[in-house]
Amino acid sequence: MNLDAALQTFFAEAEELLVSMEAALLRVEDGADDGETLNEIFRAAHTIKGSAGLFGLNAIVSFTHIVENILDRAREGSVQIDSALLGILLQCRDHIAALVSDEMQQQEATPERLQQGDALLQQLLPWMKDKPAAPPAAAVISASSTDDGAVGTWHLSLRLGPDCLRNGMDPLSFIRFLATLGEIIQLVTLDEALPDVADFDAETLYLGFEIDLRTSADRNSIESVFDFVRDDADIRILPPHSKIEQYIELIHSLPENPLRLGEILVQSGALSPAALQQALHRQQSTRQPRAPLLGEILSDSQTVATAVLDAALDKQKKSVGGKSAAENRSIRVDAEKLDKLINLIGELVISRQRVDLLSAQAGHGPLSEAVASLGNFTEQIRDAALTLRMVQIGETFQRFRRVVRDTSMELGKSIDLVISGAETELDRSMVEKLTDPLTHIVRNAIDHGIEPVEVRRASGKSDTGTLQLSACHEAGNIVIEISDDGGGLNLEKIRAKAIANGIVDATASLSDNEIFQLIFHAGLSTAEQVTNLSGRGVGMDVVKRNIESLQGGIDIDSVRGQGTSLRIRLPLTLAIIDGFHVAASATQFIIPQTTVLECMDLSSLPAVKGRSCVNLRGDQVPYIRLREIFVLPDRSRGEKREKLVVVQFGHNRAGVVVDDLFGEIQTVVKPLSPIFQALRGVGGSSLLGSGDIAFILDIPQLIELAITREARSVGTTLHSTQEHSP
Amino acid sequence: MNIRRNAVAAADSVPTQQFLTFRIGAEFFGMALKQTREILEYTDVTTVPLMPKFLRGVINLRGEMVPVIDLSVRLGRDPLDVQRRTCIIVVELLVEEQLHVLGLLADAVSEVIDVSPDDIEDTPAFGAKIRADFIQGIAKRDGNFVVLLDANSALSVRELAHLVETELQ
Repeated sequence: MNLDAALQTFFAEAEELLVSMEAALLRVEDGADDGETLNEIFRAAHTIKGSAGLFGLNAIVSFTHIVENILDRAREGSVQIDSALLGILLQCRDHIAALVSDEMQQQEATPERLQQGDALLQQLLPWMKDKPAAPPAAAVISASSTDDGAVGTWHLSLRLGPDCLRNGMDPLSFIRFLATLGEIIQLVTLDEALPDVADFDAETLYLGFEIDLRTSADRNSIESVFDFVRDDADIRILPPHSKIEQYIELIHSLPENPLRLGEILVQSGALSPAALQQALHRQQSTRQPRAPLLGEILSDSQTVATAVLDAALDKQKKSVGGKSAAENRSIRVDAEKLDKLINLIGELVISRQRVDLLSAQAGHGPLSEAVASLGNFTEQIRDAALTLRMVQIGETFQRFRRVVRDTSMELGKSIDLVISGAETELDRSMVEKLTDPLTHIVRNAIDHGIEPVEVRRASGKSDTGTLQLSACHEAGNIVIEISDDGGGLNLEKIRAKAIANGIVDATASLSDNEIFQLIFHAGLSTAEQVTNLSGRGVGMDVVKRNIESLQGGIDIDSVRGQGTSLRIRLPLTLAIIDGFHVAASATQFIIPQTTVLECMDLSSLPAVKGRSCVNLRGDQVPYIRLREIFVLPDRSRGEKREKLVVVQFGHNRAGVVVDDLFGEIQTVVKPLSPIFQALRGVGGSSLLGSGDIAFILDIPQLIELAITREARSVGTTLHSTQEHSP
Repeated sequence: MNIRRNAVAAADSVPTQQFLTFRIGAEFFGMALKQTREILEYTDVTTVPLMPKFLRGVINLRGEMVPVIDLSVRLGRDPLDVQRRTCIIVVELLVEEQLHVLGLLADAVSEVIDVSPDDIEDTPAFGAKIRADFIQGIAKRDGNFVVLLDANSALSVRELAHLVETELQ
């Protein structure tokens, strides 16, 4: 039995539920007042509690239980969710998330964590107050005890099904969880079904349990303990003070020996010995004269039970109906399996290129046709496989509702977040790497972009600022735009700061766009007041670097007084890139297409004397000779004309000098062994159609490498190659 | 002491270990068979720029980029000369639950030998001209000494990466 796998599933599910819980809470804050949203919040808490109970994660269970309790009361309408409660509930959600993550890292909850939890529960107290005076501990137990309020002894017969262990469920955890609902008075394990040792299968559950539980919980709460095994399990629950007939029926309907079951019930005090005798006897005596009668009795009582059961099941279905339908439409797949599939398809793409090459050489008509159709399908398979890893960006955007809420509250600003294009898809691996830069940009926009209310009023804007997050596909790229209706960038201020910090020359004339790009420079922050959120001058440069490491770019557009908008452009996937195939000496390289501006003969351009620079239409463009920077032998002996590939990096241009240009190529990225980790300038490798290996250049790294090399050999700083041309 | 070791070995017939032996120059080496995946005929190795001498480059092994190590340089000898019988031994190392695949250049592959613990002679304190921690032991075969390599140490990915870093500085 692999409990670990089940536990991992729990963590994954809990994370998802917490995300949807947060989103729903924020919807409530935005004024959503429908029962469905409340239900969603409640269900999230309820499911987390239930699953956590299965694994005996008591810290999560006991905390979530109280939260669930309040949510249940909100659902009933006996508690009104106001902004104060909402704030606490959001914090409670975070606390549950913290508890889950503690468990994930197999850490014991720290005393601080427990204190946080207690403090939150203290804050929740006012909303629990109108309950009939009960000590807090009792409140924990009495769950949603609305119908059966009173404490009574329930009888439970558990036959959890032979596959229970195989499905990753431990019967013990159910019992342990039952104990949190009340007190287990009696527990008898039935081992009659145990086979001989020879036939014993270690993964099959042979045991049955008869349990007497003293609790004030209602039938629903008790039944919900078994939500996860209901399908294969035979679970019978008799409420306190059931009729003797019901016990008798129970005895007969279970597979075990009636006498044994009878004794158990007698022991628990549910039946008196006399009643048992009488009942068994009565049935026996009725059975003798007229055999069918037993069937009649049983079926009679069973119809009752079925009716009850059906009703209960119905209720259950209604509450989870919508969700299970949605779940059926998607399946959970291990990300590694997907990666493997995509790798294999990468291989297929390369093999196809090779077949293409060979068939072209063969010049065989029918063969070429067959190869062309193979190529067509290969491309379709590749595209379909890549979409498997695509996820909608909406979920990532949703997370920013919370960031916006918290940040704007902290700064005392009122801000509307408008999301559009949430259904736009991109590679899952990109999403993970995007969260940090996006968070930074959003915070920056709220902190520096959107003005304080007084300023907004003075300039005739509405009190509430608007922040827009949008996404769309554009020519094989995904474009994410973050725009605000704030004060816009102050060109003069940025420029002055950049000059003061020695980033640009005081005499340099810069275009607006060049000035905008300066905010990505390390060590430049124009905020007059350094707040706790941003303004420390670190961040935007990191943002830019993050985006560039994803083969993307970032543009700024800003109008003073009207707002700022940042456009992030990213490729749809990192597994396959469009590149420019070149060679230096005998080594083949691929330059990512997104960085390439143009190509030309090096000799056709006027050189700048004494420096590795060319004069490109009046601009000085420094260049790097790949052969030199990678110390490759010169095989051309001056016969070949060197080519210049002009690339863009950040707001600068540079040239890469190569020996051969082969043209555009779409290629699969293969990471290099960690042994090569220290190698700068090369981001990965790739297989060419010919079977050769090419190295994918990382242009920003390559430039950095050139700068450090030069600094070392010349003893000067990068200024000589990186200054802005007049 | 010796008697006891024999007794243990006799009672427990399993601990013979299999080694793949190969030749580099005039010396014979052994690599635990369970760490070797396959043996390839020599194919062109794509040179990776700026790498130290022991790192010959990478090969494409059915779509996987596999670094190729010149073991001869790694063990402090001259770089290996590629000849007709040169081959690449593909080894797998499990480091921190991560599988690393490396290719090793060898002049020729000889055979698979069974080595029982008794056959392994202690490494002499000096004279092998190989770093002591690279050697698991020395076995005798047909009058030749076979140096049994400790792959995890001789091919430690961390150490190799560190050497690359040093070379690049």
